[in-house]
Parts: sequence; structure tokens; C-alpha cells
Amino acid sequence: MAAIDTDLAVSPASATEPRWYPYALIAPAMITFVLVALVPFLFAVFISFHQMKYGRLGDFAGFENYGALLSDSRFWNSMAIAALFVAIAVPLEFMLGLAGALMLCRPIWGRSALVPLLFIPTTMAPIVVGLLWKIMLAGSWGLLSTNVIEPLGLVGEISIFASPDLALYALIFVDVWQWTPFMMLAFFAGLQALPVNPYRAAAVDGATPVQAFFRLTLPMMAPLLVVIGLLRLIDAFKVFDSIFILTGGGPGTSTEMPSVLAYKMTFEFWNIGEASALAVVVWLLFFAFCNVFYQLAKKKLNAF
Amino acid sequence: MNRNGFTPRCRLLAGAALATGLLAGLAGPASAAWSYAEAAKPYKGTTIHVLDEITPLQETLAKLVPTFTEETGIKVEYELLNHFEVINKGQADMLSGRGYYDAIMLHGFQLGPMLDAGVLRPIDDLKANAALADPDFDEADLIEPAYKTTAFSGGKQYGFLNWNYNQIYWARGDLFGDPGEQAAFKAKYGYALAPATTFKQLRDIAEFFTRPAGATLAGKTLDSPFYGIVLEGIKGGSTFLSMWGNFIKSYGGDIVDADGHPTFDTPTNVEAIAAWAELWKFAPPGTAEYSLIDVPTVMGNGIAAQAIAWSDFVLGIDRPGASPYAGKFLYGAMPYKEGMEAKRSVEGEPSAIVISQASKNPEATFLFLQWLVEKQQQTKLLEAGQGGVPIRESSWSLPVMQDGPLAGMFKAMKSSLEVTTGKPKMPKFYELYDALTGISQEIGLGKLSPAEGAAKAQKAMLGICDPCLLK
Repeated sequence: MAAIDTDLAVSPASATEPRWYPYALIAPAMITFVLVALVPFLFAVFISFHQMKYGRLGDFAGFENYGALLSDSRFWNSMAIAALFVAIAVPLEFMLGLAGALMLCRPIWGRSALVPLLFIPTTMAPIVVGLLWKIMLAGSWGLLSTNVIEPLGLVGEISIFASPDLALYALIFVDVWQWTPFMMLAFFAGLQALPVNPYRAAAVDGATPVQAFFRLTLPMMAPLLVVIGLLRLIDAFKVFDSIFILTGGGPGTSTEMPSVLAYKMTFEFWNIGEASALAVVVWLLFFAFCNVFYQLAKKKLNAF
Repeated sequence: MNRNGFTPRCRLLAGAALATGLLAGLAGPASAAWSYAEAAKPYKGTTIHVLDEITPLQETLAKLVPTFTEETGIKVEYELLNHFEVINKGQADMLSGRGYYDAIMLHGFQLGPMLDAGVLRPIDDLKANAALADPDFDEADLIEPAYKTTAFSGGKQYGFLNWNYNQIYWARGDLFGDPGEQAAFKAKYGYALAPATTFKQLRDIAEFFTRPAGATLAGKTLDSPFYGIVLEGIKGGSTFLSMWGNFIKSYGGDIVDADGHPTFDTPTNVEAIAAWAELWKFAPPGTAEYSLIDVPTVMGNGIAAQAIAWSDFVLGIDRPGASPYAGKFLYGAMPYKEGMEAKRSVEGEPSAIVISQASKNPEATFLFLQWLVEKQQQTKLLEAGQGGVPIRESSWSLPVMQDGPLAGMFKAMKSSLEVTTGKPKMPKFYELYDALTGISQEIGLGKLSPAEGAAKAQKAMLGICDPCLLK
């Protein structure tokens, strides 16, 4: 086995390859990354330190935009809403996804047809998801509103998206509806790839299914669970389309996440300097969070 | 015969002929000779790009635009986008200096920020150019006070009056004419049921017609709840503008004083906001989701007795096939506060198509904009659309406005336009609008009392601008 590994590591072809060859292979991806992500981001950082009114770059402003942003209660309100959104939506999607994946691993009739169907919400454009749920839940004329919610008096006098108390939870529901199948299928794929032998050994030792799940499945799935969970968390924090379509950040500012606020600052108020500062602050938060998360996952879960 | 061979009589005749020719050249014939074909000769073959908002009015206008090209040889790419897109795309084009669009339709409220940004080209020099300006263009015929309060700022002119959006009162004639409902209303309120002319009547009618499922309406049992009024309440659109233009101003208040300092929390304003907020109790549960497009749609679906709506959107509903209640609607002038008819105010959005500072074809664009506003085009537009929203006083006398099936609506519209003004030019309008719309929603939904909302709005305004008017 060791001999085979050695042969693969130092194949005759790789020994004769020029030194630039690996760089050439990753160049297309790196160039794309630099052009579509890094350069715009660095430009946003640059703008965040300048005055930029009506799209015109003005004088160097130091930390003025950051100061204005951090003293704006609306920014903190949006961060709190995003935190609540993520804190409810992601764990729900995670748990429901994992439970669904475990169910899919069992011999269910019609599983081969069910799996592609489950992908439908995830493959839909978020804007379409927003429009779909507007048709379902809109006050007075929404399909579910008029036929189920209002006749049963489930939400009182006002419609769901018109209620400052309910609108955010409706958005969380829509997010869970869209992304749970993705989690489910990702976890299902991970479960399918787990080796069988440890389970056979556990069965011989008399382990119950619950013990097997906590002692074998979860530890072996940990890297995948951590990566998928982290990706979903980042994605949920920056959700925009469905909110834009369903509530526009309202009623009041009750569903105004940082992404919606950034959009307004940029394209409605034309305060691009402060909007860039917002983007940079959110990036810094995630940069710090991801690093801490990575270190913890590495140490505690042996995930990476 | 003298040295040059002309007799004195001959000289006299020649002088008279020359004088006549000169006078003719200076006065009458210039007017008679001016034509778009002649004025457009230097610009023949030019293509101009014009961005406008899509409503039934502009769709009708789009069919007339090719005749300008036939007349002048100037090709017009007349692009129509929805309300929100025309704002975003139009402003982005102007602010970026790209200049793809030579002219862009701006709602009145956009003028403040765009003037502040310095991206609008004044048209005074083009208007003063005898080769471009139609001497028969009857400027005094443009509807006031909308024209002057919209197209001018800081002593300069930036366009004409192109669209004259305004709100009107809209009611279900079949319900108002029902003898049972009339009798019940009179018994409860002590006066006859008729389209509201005052805010008190508006409120009473809204309360009267708000009924749960299972109740009776005009002799029929309701399968689902019925509502007394439909209002716009979405975060965006004209929710706040309607409260401001129709209620606050009609009560004699305003959100800024003459110098532009915020005055949102005055007792007068609080009283006006309370009158507006009370109507939400009689509106459908989805009011906070209703946009300016949803209001006429919902009214057309027949779930409410009355509405405050944009008249141009009503045109899309009150026509055969668009609503089962088409032809059964009643219209009226926007109600006002009792005893304050002289102060009445109606929310409107007089709008202008303006020339971008980045336009490379300002002369050809000016010709097109002037052509659009000419009486001839306005007549054709209103006749082709079986009515519309006039920008000229003379349009009211057209047969289609007087005798058509929507004559009642045009009468209401005329009343609205008598007092409709352009928005004050506020550079920070969008920040104000976003904050105040959100607070308006909270007041309408009962999350804030009118006094709390007004105080919050005042604080928000002070945080955004003071003074708030363009200097």
C-alpha cells in the first residue's frame, strides 16, 4: 500500500512537469476569484474610507463612514434581526435536514423519485421563492391566507407579512422551506458515503441505533456537518431576495437585515461610502467568526 | 424716370413691398413657417433614448411616438419600465454619467436628489432658441399649480409637465345605490349615503361597510369579510405620501416649515395622522402589503366599498373585462377636513421628463419633449386612450373627457388637479421617505400612537436633514 502511495505521489509525469504547471492549473479559478470577488471587495474597502455621494468618489474620510454606521441604531437593529433569523433558521434547517437524511437512508418506497423532488425548492431562484410565498401568504388574497389562515383566525386581525411581530418568522419559515431539502440531501449524500464496517462492529457489540448515531454517525459526519452548517449560516445571514420581495424590510424595520439595509443605502440613499463600511464590517465579523469556528471545530470535533 | 430707372411711384411700391416683406418676415410667417420637420433638420438621423414609466397612459403614448420620427427623422427609443425600475435604472444612468438615456421621466420627489446631484440639464437655453422652440406652444395652458411647482427650481426650468398623476376618491356605485344600504346608513349616521366629500364621511362610510363573513351586504350574504376602505400601506410606494399629501396638508399642516425645518410633531399633524390611521381599522388585513398597484386591483376584485387611489391606475380597472364592477364605480374629489375646503390638498405626483446632463443630443431630445406636450399630441393621447390624465387645461373640454364612460372620474381628477402640487425639492428625500414610510406603517398598524409616531418621525427627520429643502 505504501509503495502504491509513493508511486502516485512521485509519478514520472509529475517529475517532468515544469514548476509553473500547478499554478497554470489553478490560474483560471484564481483569476476569476480575483476579478469578481477580491478586486470589488478591495474597492469597497477603499470606498468605505472615502466620501461617496451620488456615486461620485469624494475626499478621504478616514473612519467617518464607520463612525456614522456604528452610531446608527438602524444598523444595530438590522444586525439583531439577522442574528435572530440565523439563530432560528439555521438550527431548524440543520436538525430537520439531518432527520430527513436519516429517514432517507431507510428503505422508503419511492425514494428514487422523492430525492429529485426534494431538490425543487433549493433549485428555485430565491426571487421566485419570494413571489411564490407572497401568493401563498399575502393578506386578503393569498392562497393560504384566504383559505386557511384567516378562516381559522390564526393570525388575528392583520396579515402575516403586515405584522411586525410575525413577518420575520414568516421569512424564517420561507427560508426553512427552501433550504431544509438542501441540507437533507447534502447530509444524505454524506451518510451514504460512511463506511459500513464500524456499524457492523457496533452491532456485534450490541450498540443500540441511538448509540450508533451518537458514537459513530455524528463523529464521522462531523466535517461535513460543520462545513454545510457554516455555509448555510453565512448564506442565511446575507439573505436578501425573499425579504426584498415579501416585506421590503418592513413593516417598519422589523425585517430589515443588513443586506436589505446595504441595498437601501446604496441604491436608494446613494450613500455608498457608508454602505461599503457596512459591507466591510459584516465581512470582518464573519472573518472573525469563521476563524473561531474553524479552530473550535478542529479542536473539539476534529472536523478538519 | 430717374437715374436708376425707377419712378417715384415705383420706389413707393417697392418700399411698401419691402416693408411688408420685412414685417412678414419678423412676425407672422415665422410662426407659420416653424415646423418640427424644419426644426429637426440638423438632427435628422439622430437616435435618442427616452426612459419612461409604464402605465396605461405611456402604453398609449408609445403608439404615438413613431409619428414623431416620421415627422422629424429623429429616431426615438422609447423604453417603458415599471415604477421602481424607472426610478432605479434612470437615476443610476444619470448619476453614473453614462448618458445612455437622453431623457428620463422623474417623479416629482426625485427632482430634489437629482438636482442636488447636478445631473439634470436646464432647458432654458433650448427654450430660448427660436429654431427649436415652437412659437405656438401654449405654455399658459399647462395645468397649474402642478407645472410651476414641478418643472422649475432655483430660477431654472428642467422640463415640462409630462405626467400629472393624482389621487382620487373611488367608491362602489352599486352599493351606494342600494336602497337597503342607503336606509341603514341614514338610520345610523343621520345623513344620506353618498360618495364622501369630507374625512368624517370617509370614516363613517368605511365603518358602515366593514362587515364579517356571514353578514349581509346589499341583500346578499357575504362568503368572506368585506371592508370599508382600501388604502396603500406597503413600505414603499406612496403610503407616507398619501398620508402627507391628502391628510396632513388638508389639516393645514406640513412636515417642514417654509425654511425646510422639520415640523412633523405639531398638534395639527398628529390630528391629521390620527384621522388617517383610524381608517386602517376598516381596511383589509393586508393593508401593510398593499402597493399603489394592489389598491386598484383589490378594489376591482370587489372586497371593499371605497378607496383612495391613483387615478391613472383606476383607468386600468374600470373598463370592460378588467373588473366585474367596471361601469359601476363612482368617483369623487379627494375628501377634506370638515370646514377646511379652502385648505384642501390632494396627493399627486406631477412628473417631468428631464434631459440628462450626460445627454449627447439635448436639442433633438428637447424637440421630442416639446412635441410630447403639444396640444395636438395631448389630444391624440387622450382620444387614443379613451381618456387619461391631462396636463393641459384645454384637454378637459375634449369630448372624450366630457362624455365618455369615465366622465365622472375625469371630473374627480380635475378637482384633484386644481390643488395638486409638485413635491418640495428635498435632497435627502429618499432617506426621509424610507424612515417616514416605516413609521407610517407602524402608526397604521397600531404599533405606535399618532403622537408617538409623529414624535419618532420628527426625531428621524432631524437626524437626516435640517433644513430639508434644496438651497
